[in-house]
Order: sequence, then structure tokens, then C-alpha cells
Amino acid sequence: MSPVATTITTPALAVDNRPRSHIHDPAWLRWTLISLALLFLLSFLLLPLAAVFAEALRNGIKAYFAAFEDSDALAAIRLTLITTAISVPANVVFGVAAAWAITKFDFRGKSFLITLIDLPFAVSPVIAGLIFVLVFGRHGWFGPGNMEHLFAPIAPGFKEFVSGYGLDWLLGPLAEWMNEPGMLPVLFATPGIVLATIFVSFPFVARELIPLMQAQGRDEELTAITLGANGWQTFWRVTLPNIKWGLFYGVILCNARAMGEFGAVSVVSGKIRGETNTLPLHVEILYNEYNSVGAFAIATLLAMLAIVTLIAKSFTEWKFAKK
Amino acid sequence: MSITATNITKTFGNYTALNAVNLHVPSGKLIALLGPSGSGKTTLLRIIAGLEFADQGSGNILFGDEDVTNVPPGKRGVGFVFQHYALFRHLSVAENIAFGLKVRKRAERPDKATIAARVKELLHLIQLEDLGGRYPAQLSGGQRQRVALARALAVQPKVLLLDEPFGALDAKVRRDLRRWLRNFHDEIHLTTVFVTHDQEEALEIADEVVIMNQARVEQVGIPQEVYDRPTTPFVHKFLGNVNQIVLPWSGLIPGTNVPQEDGIAFVRPHDIELVHFNTGRDGDPAQVVDIHAAGPVAKVAVKRNDGKGIVDVELSRAYLDQIRLREGDHVLLRVRRPVATDYAI
Ligand SMILES: Nc1ncnc2c1ncn2[C@@H]1O[C@H](COP(=O)(O)OP(=O)(O)OP(=O)(O)O)[C@@H](O)[C@H]1O
Ligand SMILES: [Mg+2]
Repeated sequence: MSPVATTITTPALAVDNRPRSHIHDPAWLRWTLISLALLFLLSFLLLPLAAVFAEALRNGIKAYFAAFEDSDALAAIRLTLITTAISVPANVVFGVAAAWAITKFDFRGKSFLITLIDLPFAVSPVIAGLIFVLVFGRHGWFGPGNMEHLFAPIAPGFKEFVSGYGLDWLLGPLAEWMNEPGMLPVLFATPGIVLATIFVSFPFVARELIPLMQAQGRDEELTAITLGANGWQTFWRVTLPNIKWGLFYGVILCNARAMGEFGAVSVVSGKIRGETNTLPLHVEILYNEYNSVGAFAIATLLAMLAIVTLIAKSFTEWKFAKK
Repeated sequence: MSITATNITKTFGNYTALNAVNLHVPSGKLIALLGPSGSGKTTLLRIIAGLEFADQGSGNILFGDEDVTNVPPGKRGVGFVFQHYALFRHLSVAENIAFGLKVRKRAERPDKATIAARVKELLHLIQLEDLGGRYPAQLSGGQRQRVALARALAVQPKVLLLDEPFGALDAKVRRDLRRWLRNFHDEIHLTTVFVTHDQEEALEIADEVVIMNQARVEQVGIPQEVYDRPTTPFVHKFLGNVNQIVLPWSGLIPGTNVPQEDGIAFVRPHDIELVHFNTGRDGDPAQVVDIHAAGPVAKVAVKRNDGKGIVDVELSRAYLDQIRLREGDHVLLRVRRPVATDYAI
């Protein structure tokens, strides 16, 4: 071998044989870290989940299913489903509208709106609940005791306006309705629970869509418009198909939060058994009454919701990655 | 259909993106909007398309004789192609092309067979017959560009507007595609405006070049005219290399309309004749400081003897060899033809 060839091959060999320690950490370190992570997941996430099922089934499968025959439990399930069925679609509409407005148009106060969307994440759910009490409570702004004060400044003008259309006969019943104590059954009733749930689960859809729509830009929509599509067609045929997986992702997270919300709902609900208890509230009540099998049996529903959510989430992530 | 934009002003906040711009595109012509980044080309194109509106009360846009200033973009009959194609990623190539026909009102919508035939025809036109079923992600940049073009053409627009149609492509594809666009335009004669900041591209394929700078139109003309007779220093500098020669300079042709007073003459490097000093011809005495002879044209840097700067000269390789030019040689410089001086800067 000539000396020239040697000087060329030697560095090449050296490169090949160099241990790639900066990419691969030593095996023992790797395994320690992995075991630590696994141990943590197991003890803090998986174990409690298993415990929920174990506790629920402690007195056998019969006792487990008996927990669902209780009419209060069924009422709680129904209320949770109703609340979710209203608040999730509402948040899909609000979230898509907010994300659409923020990403496709320029307007004043845009950054303020973005900050506002995060508000429900920033305030404690209890505070959120208390805000609704403040607003709709007996002496709240829109509370029953305050309706007359609220309308006092505009009342003369309103009366004139109504008379102008010959609708005086409306005034009597209207005044009566306004003074009735239970006229706005918001607090301690389904509307309040729905409002509180909408509030706490609002950011999920918008937060998911904004970065996605920002990345996609406006060019596709503008192209659709130059091709003669109207606003509706542009939304249905261009925007929606582009965001559908992001939207789905946002919806499952929003749904999980809506079904599982405890804090805000517990403040506005009043916890009337069989009437204003959602699933999480019902679990708490049962548990406080030392009915632990019942509590954990209902809790398994929420645990299964979590599992389904995670599966759906992984599925969307996988779908995203494939694109 | 001709396009006439009169007195268009557009401001974003307190930034003026277009300042009283006028533009006329004759029917059936291919026009290049050429200018540096930020000069307002895209903004003007978007205003023509109706995607952006000029400032209140500033000016109007005519298509032919029809005032379209307040017509929404979908009703103007424009085909608009974005720099990054903006293909609908969830639709196949064929569905992309058919989009504009499918969204029409029922009464105006062609039936399925007609749409399919039109798509086929357009796929043939852009030479992608076999790729109708593919999705945008499965196409090359040049193919996507052509699909975007076909999609715009499907609705039979009155005018075609292209924003940097080849901007995102590599040099080779770019050259092929711009020839293709020129030939294609010669076949269909659709009034077309395309934006570019590549002067070579504009000069090669456009019927007329509109040069923009800092929110204004600097000059309009056929390619040769704007290259040979720029009317502003900006255009002179923007379209190819130019020497800014401090006057007085004895390299100018005596007796032409060029003033020999103070000022600056704009002379392109290939418009300067260079001979050895000992030939004793008319000209400005100077000394060669650098010869760069890679490529078909030799670039020679020459220092003026009166100390008023360096002049760049371009010579053919054959001529360079013939006169055996060396660095340090004493030479005489003279312009070949009358040149522009001092635009009252
Ligand atoms: N929506 C907007 N808001 C604020 N300023 C804008 C907006 N659109 C454009 N501008 C400004 O107007 C000027 C002209 O922009 P335009 O996009 O027309 O430039 P251009 O000539 O197309 O440049 P390029 O070659 O880089 O695409 C730029 O300075 C740009 O920053
Ligand atoms: Mg541009």
C-alpha cells in the first residue's frame, strides 16, 4: 500500500470506528431513565385508573351494575349528556368562528381576542363558577332581584316604543314575569350548568384550530373566491376539509372536559340530587355518603371516557402524522 | 379584455404600498410587473383581482370598458395564481381543476360530463393527462404550478393574473416553464399580467414590461426599449449592470446631445469600447486594474487616469485575446453610442 493511500484511508476508518457517544447515551443511563418514566406513569396514572375499576368491582359485578339502576345516577348521566350535547356543539361553533376570524381577517383588538380565548384556562374553575353566581344570583346583575333596576333607565322609552306599536297589553304580563323570583332559572338549574361548562371548555377547539389555520394561510380561501365560490362554499369545501382533523382533536378534548368538569359546575349547580347533579358531582356525593362502590362504579364511566378520549386522540395524531 | 388601472393608491396604516399608480394592459398581451421586493407588485395585482381594495376615492379598475372597481373578485372573471400555488390539498388534481365549475349556481353549472371533458382538455393543455387522480402533495413544484394555472383557466377568465408564477422553482424548471407560458400565451391570447422580480424572466417573455419601484411605476415599455433606453437611474441600475461615470469624461462621443458639464453618465459595460493607448484614437485615458475572463464575456475593471473612479467594461473573449490585454496596460475608453446622463437626480 502506498503511503498516499494510507493517509487517505486512515482518517476514513477513524470516522467509521468512532463511538457515537454524543448520539447514544450509555445503556445503563438509558434504561434508568426509561424505567423511571415508566414507574412514574404506572404509579401516578395507570395505578389509580386500575384502582377505580378494582374498587368499583369489589362487591362483585352485580353490585357494580346496581349502582346504575339508582334513579339519581341515571339523572346524573342524563344531565351530563344533555350538558355535553349543548356545550360541545356550541363551542365548536364559537371556536371555529373565533379561529376563522382571527386567522383569516385583520381587525383591531385581535390580540386582545386571542388573550380572551385563554381566559378560561387562566382562571380557576371555582372562580368561573362564582362569576356566574355573581351575574345570575339573587342579587346579581341579571338576577331576579335586579331586573327592575336594570330596566329602570330604559323603561320609559321602552313603554313609549311598545305603545307606539299598540302593544300596551304586553306591558302587564311582562312586568309580572320580570318580578317573579324564579324567572331566570339559570343558577341551580341546567342553563347555569351549561353556561359554566361552555365557559371552561371553550378554549379547546379555538386553541387547536388557530395555529393550524394560521399555518395554512388564506391563499386557498382567496383562490376559491376568485373561482366564484361564495363564503359558505369556501367554508364547507375548502376550510373545513383542511381543518377537520384538528377540529376533531379539539372536539374530543372539549368533550372530555365538558363531561368531567367539577369545579365550576359544582359552584353553580346547587347539587340537588336527581336534578342538578352531573356525573362528577354525583360521584362526590356518593363518596361523601360512604357509598364507595357506587361512587367508583360511576367513576368508571368517567375513566372509560378518559380512555376513549386518549384512543381517539392517538388516532387523530396518527392521522395527522400520515398527512 | 384590456385592463386599465387609473390613479390607484393603497396605504397600509401609514405605509404607502401604491402611490397613484396607472397601468394599462392591452387586450391579449402578456405583461410583466417587474420590481424589487416590497415595491407593490403583489398589492397591485391583488387590487386588479379584487382581493384587496384601493384606498377610498383613489382610483378605479376597468376591464375593457366595464368599471369593476366595486365588483367582488368572484364576479370579475379573473384567474389568479398564487406564488405558492394554493392548490386545495384535500382534492385531486382533476377535482382542483373542476372546482370553479362545480361551485357555480345550479342554473349556470355545466353537467358532469361537460365538466369532465373540460378537465380532460385542460389536463392535456398542461401536459399532465395521466395525473388527474393524484393529490397536490404527490406533484413536483412545476406540476403544481401548471395545475394551479389550469384551475384558474377552467372558469374561462377574462384576464389571467400570476403572482411570481415561477418564484418557488429551481432555475432549470423555471426556464422551461416560462418558455412554456410564452408559447401557451401565443396560443390562447388571454390578457395576462405576471409579477416577477427576475429581470431576465420579464425581458425574455413579456410583450411589455412595467417596472415598479417604491410604490410607483417607473417605466413602461417593450423589453428592448426599457433595457436600451431607461428613463430613470433606478431602471438603469435595475435592468443589468451600469457604470455611473462622473462627468466631464472624454469618453463620450463629441457632438452628441450629451452635456459635458458636471453630472453623471449611465453607461452599460458592454457599450464601452476599449483600445490600447498607443492606437492614438479619441477616448478617455485609463489603466487596466483587473481582468476577469471566466465565461463567454470578459469583465475588465479600468481606472480613470483623472482619478474619478473605476469603469467596468465587458469585452468578448475573442477581442480580449486579439488585443492581448494585460493588467496594468494603458488604454482609451469611448462609448459606442449616445448615452443617458444625469436624470436630474
Ligand atoms: N396586508 C398588509 N399589511 C401591511 N403592509 C402590507 C400588507 N401587504 C403588503 N404590505 C406592504 O406593502 C408593501 C408592498 O408589498 P407587496 O407585497 O405588494 O410587495 P411586492 O412588490 O409584491 O414584493 P415581493 O417581490 O417581495 O413579493 C410592502 O412593504 C409590504 O410590507
Ligand atoms: Mg409579491
